[in-house]
Amino acid sequence: MNDKVLIHRLATGVPGLDSILGGGLPEFSFNLITGPPGSGKTTLAHQLMFALAGPDRPALFFTMLGEPPLKVLRYQQQFAFYDPDRINAGIRYVNLGEEAATGRFDQVLAGIMQAVEASSPALVFVDSFLSIMPGPGAPSAQALDAHQFIQQLGVLLSSWRITSFLIGEWSSEREPHPIASIADGLLNLSQSVYRNAMVRKLQVLKLRGQASSPGIHTFRITGEGLQVFPATAPSGPAGVAAALPELGQRLAMGIPGLDAMLGGGLPAGYSLLVAGPSGSGKTLLATAFLAEGVRRGEPGILVAFEQTPSQSWDPTIHRLVESGQLGLINTRLLDLSIDEIVQQLTDLIRRMRATRVVIDSLSGFELAVAPTFREDFREQLFRMVSVLAGLGVTVLMTSELEDRYTDLRFSSYGSAFLTDAIIVQRYIEVGSCLKRVLAVVKVRASAHSDELHQYAISDLGILIGGPMPDYEGLLGGHPTHKPEIDDRMAELPDGRR
Amino acid sequence: MPTNAGSPSPQEAFRSTLARRVGQPPDAWAVAEVSLVLWRRIAAQLAPVIGVRGVDALFGRALHLASREYPWLAQPLADEPRADPMASGCGRLQVRDGTAALEAAMALLGTFTDLLATLIGTTLCERLLAPVAEAEHAS
Repeated sequence: MNDKVLIHRLATGVPGLDSILGGGLPEFSFNLITGPPGSGKTTLAHQLMFALAGPDRPALFFTMLGEPPLKVLRYQQQFAFYDPDRINAGIRYVNLGEEAATGRFDQVLAGIMQAVEASSPALVFVDSFLSIMPGPGAPSAQALDAHQFIQQLGVLLSSWRITSFLIGEWSSEREPHPIASIADGLLNLSQSVYRNAMVRKLQVLKLRGQASSPGIHTFRITGEGLQVFPATAPSGPAGVAAALPELGQRLAMGIPGLDAMLGGGLPAGYSLLVAGPSGSGKTLLATAFLAEGVRRGEPGILVAFEQTPSQSWDPTIHRLVESGQLGLINTRLLDLSIDEIVQQLTDLIRRMRATRVVIDSLSGFELAVAPTFREDFREQLFRMVSVLAGLGVTVLMTSELEDRYTDLRFSSYGSAFLTDAIIVQRYIEVGSCLKRVLAVVKVRASAHSDELHQYAISDLGILIGGPMPDYEGLLGGHPTHKPEIDDRMAELPDGRR
Repeated sequence: MPTNAGSPSPQEAFRSTLARRVGQPPDAWAVAEVSLVLWRRIAAQLAPVIGVRGVDALFGRALHLASREYPWLAQPLADEPRADPMASGCGRLQVRDGTAALEAAMALLGTFTDLLATLIGTTLCERLLAPVAEAEHAS
């Protein structure tokens, strides 16, 4: 016989939160939701309440001296989860403003217990418990009273088999409050404003009995309420089984000649960086990659950061997106966290069973990421690429690369090392004409061409010509002709030079 | 305020209660008494949700708004219980002509429910006041 108690985990109804909590919220746990004003505590509490409460699980929401209850009712109704028809039918508000105003904990406790005994709730929310409590610096006798109050409240609520949430303005950065040791769970919300972008963050500082996800997770508050974006570990987001591609499988790039240069196509599951200066055809190459995938029944997703997509996008992309054959994540937000994009991407990859992902471009991506995250952009990029690799998708990222003829660089993000393959595009001057060349710089664990090929951009897309063995110094931008070798420039497939 | 299918809105229920219980022609004392009973029931229903202070604040605002049409509603009597705004407000009804008292009482209730509805929405307002309205409707 197994005598161990099994703790039932409750689904919180907050997208992304259950996975951070390690599978949901332990039933009958005594939890604190803390954070500064405006961090989303009351909204989180309401979202939890409407998700968790039901006919068999009534909820009591105690309001005290904090936000006026009328305002809570008014503003919380703006969220989609708030159903006024459930008030007094499974969800009841109890105002303890009068008791709290006395400053006597025994009266507040009595008020709470009276309401609990009267309605036997399964869920209790107290907003805000700190409004009646002295801070850590208060006289010790009073602080002890406060401590005892919370301890007694915790014991009483747990013995009544109630899952409870105390909401309060308390920052974990301050001196630890004694109640933190009493609570089973401690969720801390915060918000940071840097330059002109605000980022909301959530941290599970404590959760007894289960492995919660450490670290700081970002979240967003929309009309639907909170949506949490779990910080992605390089091993991949929780709950996503990796559908790793078959070993040796290669993906066609959709550009004649390029597959051969890559040694037979891009190995499935690889990340490819396409670096080149403005106008060199990076997006065109990425578009061909996605379109070829669609043609072969390999769904793809385009992650774009274009402010004016209708003007700059290829008609092929429009057509594929319109017909639902291509997934599109185009964000014009400027306060993104990488976890938010990863979450959106993961959801879409799962929904579309996508195998190809294009991120166009890293420059746009960096701009879209909230300034506070830009310092870690490289590290975050590494995490994202790892997550996508874990999902088994093949990723193509474009990177704007200033033409520098004195050194050979592939990315301004130092991201070259974290990709499995690199294609570099460059402008060269030949006979007073601007020509384009490309080369495969790297394909991890695979043979590949090491030749520079001239290419042209036409209505048909990218046309790759042959190598240019009769020129040298191409990467310096000023190639010199070697007359002893055949002086013909590489001929392009359409006969052009 | 719109009416839920099958049951009167709180405002309609309160008007009906007043009309039925204050006699014909209306008696100002009865208007004051029935009004106060109604207000006590409304307060008992709302105070747990929005707090005693919240109810008092809303009542004070409703009284102020209704006094635009019935200025005497805002004029304190010499011996009224100032600590009890609802008793004070209803006390001002009983020294008036019966018909005027009934109109003012209805206006005050209407203003209060409208005010509550503009703050928390009609659905939630009706939801919170439904127990009072249903009790009045059934009695």
